[in-house]
Amino acid sequence: MMSLPDVNALHARGRWPPPEGPRVAIVGSRRPSPYGEAVAEQLATDLARAGVMVVSGLALGIDAAAHRGALNGGGITVAVMGTGVDVVYPASNSRLAEEILAGGGALVSQFPDGTIPRRQNFPARNWTMAAISDVVVVVEAGEGSGALITAEAALHLHKEVMAVPGSVFSPLSVGTHGLLRDGAGLVQNARDILAVVGRGGEVLDDPLVPPERLGFALRPERDGIVAHLSDVLALSAADIARKLQLPVSEVLGRLTALELDGAVRRQEAGYVRALRRGKERA
Amino acid sequence: MLASVDSCVLVGLEARRVEVQANDGRGDVAFILVGMATTAVKEARERVRSAIRSSQLQFPGKRLTVNLAPADLRKEGSGLDLPIAVATVLAVMHKAPPPRSAFLGELALDGSICHVNGVLVAASWLRKQGYERLFVPAVDAAEAALVEGLEVIPCTNLASVIAHLTRIQSIEPQPLTHPVLDTGVEAAEHDLNEVHGQEEARRALEVAAAGGHHLLLSGPPGAGKTMLARCLPGILPPLELSEALEVAQVRSLLGDLSATKPLDWSRPFRAPHHGVSMAGLIGGGAGVAQPGEISRAHQGVLFLDELAEFQANVLQALRQPLEIGRVAITRSGGSVTYPARFTLVAATNPCPCGWSGDGRRACRCIPAMVDAYQRRLSGPLLDRIDLKVGVRRVPLEALASEPKGESSAPVRERVLAARRRQLDRQGCLNAQLKPSRLRQMAALDAASRQTLERWAEQRGLTARGFHRAWRVARTSADLDASEHIGERHVLEALGYRLNDVAA
Repeated sequence: MMSLPDVNALHARGRWPPPEGPRVAIVGSRRPSPYGEAVAEQLATDLARAGVMVVSGLALGIDAAAHRGALNGGGITVAVMGTGVDVVYPASNSRLAEEILAGGGALVSQFPDGTIPRRQNFPARNWTMAAISDVVVVVEAGEGSGALITAEAALHLHKEVMAVPGSVFSPLSVGTHGLLRDGAGLVQNARDILAVVGRGGEVLDDPLVPPERLGFALRPERDGIVAHLSDVLALSAADIARKLQLPVSEVLGRLTALELDGAVRRQEAGYVRALRRGKERA
Repeated sequence: MLASVDSCVLVGLEARRVEVQANDGRGDVAFILVGMATTAVKEARERVRSAIRSSQLQFPGKRLTVNLAPADLRKEGSGLDLPIAVATVLAVMHKAPPPRSAFLGELALDGSICHVNGVLVAASWLRKQGYERLFVPAVDAAEAALVEGLEVIPCTNLASVIAHLTRIQSIEPQPLTHPVLDTGVEAAEHDLNEVHGQEEARRALEVAAAGGHHLLLSGPPGAGKTMLARCLPGILPPLELSEALEVAQVRSLLGDLSATKPLDWSRPFRAPHHGVSMAGLIGGGAGVAQPGEISRAHQGVLFLDELAEFQANVLQALRQPLEIGRVAITRSGGSVTYPARFTLVAATNPCPCGWSGDGRRACRCIPAMVDAYQRRLSGPLLDRIDLKVGVRRVPLEALASEPKGESSAPVRERVLAARRRQLDRQGCLNAQLKPSRLRQMAALDAASRQTLERWAEQRGLTARGFHRAWRVARTSADLDASEHIGERHVLEALGYRLNDVAA
């Protein structure tokens, strides 16, 4: 077990310590599927609306989605950093860090100003994150993911651990499913978390909507393709072409058109559906 | 007496005339060789002396002086052995050499004549200079006889050459090597019908072959990237005569030509290891630079596996040849230019561990490492690659079954038809179209232009990237046998831009 820093002695930018109230950490993979990213964002928004402070690590992927979601929900969010609070890592999250501060939240760190990213500092940061939160929610964590360290810390610190289920085919769900098997609380929506922190609250039931119902698929000939895409597992143009018995060149073109419209996203391994909330139509 | 015969030395794909003068003079017993000869040429003295004696010919009794003119030209290689020996023997015999004839060959101590590199290059240059007859090692005669209008005398040993020159017994000239196109297409080493799945990469190969586009295959280890790359020569048309001669010239310099079948119609495929040096890949070496892998791949395919593992400066040096199709190298022995118009096929893992994006195995790299890895690949070189596709692992259960994909032959038919359209329309392949001609030869309708511009704006495409996508769209339309470039052709072209990330 790590030695924990004095929470009140953390280096901070912004409002610290924050106002009283429940705190929920949302953590997970730095390279999530669109599904994981959408879930993290939605949970954070709903928690923020219910007055819960969302804690995360200002990393790429799930962390960034959680902070963003909390800001969208008009809540305050706290980023626990593995660097000095004046060193935003990765730098691409600089704007997000500013927004967190502007939203009344804080950037905190147990490391002095000017500390650059060091691999060995991040596990300690994960412990701190668990320490200042009441609940740790893991959304998509592959085997060996840092989010699992946060979950482990939460167990040692007698904090609640919860996890979001995913696809059994996805390597990103191996860690979360492991937690669920070991007794972590199941998260299907923000209500599950609110029940644990003893906060009632309205959860907006605006489920994720597949792109074809968002008015993206203006051309009927594309619908066929979108319906064959997953929001978790990337499919290659070749996979879809085989399924639909179409030439791969044609499928590739259609997918590119959908990509231009923002209805699908291309990842290293292929294409996935881009999920959005109904009200947030682009 | 003084005798003089002609020969030449090679400077890249050109030659320089060398006049070999031998003087059987008076004075102390000595064999003096002057005229800026490098080591191999200086050693000729010992070979020449022994070869003449072994051939039962008379070696000068007193002082022999051999001058290699012009004196300010550096002479390399062993091809001057034969002309030195012939000049020496003729000087002793008080005979004149035959007119407009040149000699090339290395001597063994017993007087037999051995192979020298670059005979084809020398022969074509000598022919252009007005020479009518060339004495070459018998093993290289077929190669020299590819050049029309030159009498090629195949020489097996020094004694028979002298017998020929003194009209005691003449040697039959080598018949012209007819560049007959092999009947029937030679079966390529690798056929697409051995590839499981990978429809996307197969299509990209077809587009690359049709338009002459460079291709990047990205995927985890064992996904079959190498196999795919090796299928490319099999869907390319065979070499044209002029192309085959260009390829043969480079091979001739390196001594790589087959003695019996000097002209090869199949496209070269070169796959240098990622440890290759700058000189090995681009060309180089001491004295006059030798052709590197890129020139060996001329008119064919250069396959760079594990692209990120190549030294950065070596990859940087690829930029000029990729752009202009030849490479100029300057060394102490002078500056030479070699042809290097090849199709580049590069393969890479998506991240250091190789499993990023794999559906079954999680990637263990931290994002910063993946970024750093991909940055090594990005930049100017990647900007010059038109097609980028992901290659995925084929599930093991699929590997056990018979692959169902098309074989190379029909793909090659489509590639040939698409290439013919391009050559008829613009005289070159789409990949070589300059932006100004692109506007003429590949006009876009409003919808296509809008799509292309939208993408360029969304992804922050460079002007070069924009033109590359446009060229690929032209090729996609050509494969469709369509003069008109439709939106779907543009969309397909954009589908091969794996590395454009949304800004």
